[in-house]
Amino acid sequence: MTATFESLTPGDIIEGPAFPVSRESIRLFCDASLDYNPLHLDDNYMKGDFGKTNFGGIIMHGMNNFGLITRMLTDWAQPPDAIHRRLETRWLKPVKPGDTITPTGVIKAKQVTSKSRWVLIEVMVTNQGGEKVAAGEAMIEFPATAEAGPSTH
Amino acid sequence: MMQAVNTAASAFETDFWKDANLRKVWDEIVPGEPRKTLPYKLTHEAIVLYCKSVGETNPLYLDEAVAKSGPYGGLVAPPSIHILLMFACTPADDWMRSPGTVNAGQSWSYNIPARPGDTITLQARALDKFIKRERLFVVHDNVFFNQNGDVICSGRGQTIRAM
Repeated sequence: MTATFESLTPGDIIEGPAFPVSRESIRLFCDASLDYNPLHLDDNYMKGDFGKTNFGGIIMHGMNNFGLITRMLTDWAQPPDAIHRRLETRWLKPVKPGDTITPTGVIKAKQVTSKSRWVLIEVMVTNQGGEKVAAGEAMIEFPATAEAGPSTH
Repeated sequence: MMQAVNTAASAFETDFWKDANLRKVWDEIVPGEPRKTLPYKLTHEAIVLYCKSVGETNPLYLDEAVAKSGPYGGLVAPPSIHILLMFACTPADDWMRSPGTVNAGQSWSYNIPARPGDTITLQARALDKFIKRERLFVVHDNVFFNQNGDVICSGRGQTIRAM
């Protein structure tokens, strides 16, 4: 169902599709993002320690989480002509080949400002074990009217 | 001076070890100092590849006929395309490419979408650096513009530097 600003209630849930992570998906993200950091490519390099951390093998780009959260938010916002305006994320756990990760969002609050209307969303990505691998906050703008809303062009 | 415009297909060095010795280490990074950046021509092909990597199927990014009658009057890139733009606009000797750099989190604000064919420029700098729990952090801030000088998006992030 298409969300409307009026009908949204704190606690409402947004869900994105599950994303299977593989060596191939990580390699594709390297090519798509031009981020060829050996963290994502080189198992030998990843046998070493990073300070007190040892990942034990290649890890997914943290920004892959960011891309999945963005996809969930824009797919949700587009039908009611709302606009994805802000996303902040932190990475909590590394994601590895073989994991399946799923983004979700929870409506936290609505705010009307002098020229627009905003929905604040808590976002997270969880792995197949239910562990949070990424967390953050997003802001979606629901322009009040076509005339009053800011140009999106 | 004329500057070559980067495209994804041309001359992007994918070996992040190459020139690693040219890159600034944490001690040498000066907060506030502008980073050298490269203009980048965003192509539809690069957008399609990015969409594939995160499972985006939105026709506003992929289907010109649908996008034409959509809210932007043509194809656009997903907001998170700055993930690609960050590296596309970054020269090979920049500290953002130091092997082992760990991204600790980012926040981005979106103004207008990037479009295929845009020539995108980046204004970027380290804004702060600090030590926490024996780790070396750098805060970076970034603004992407299109060829008309319009802000596409702006964001900041924290990286933990390889030691």
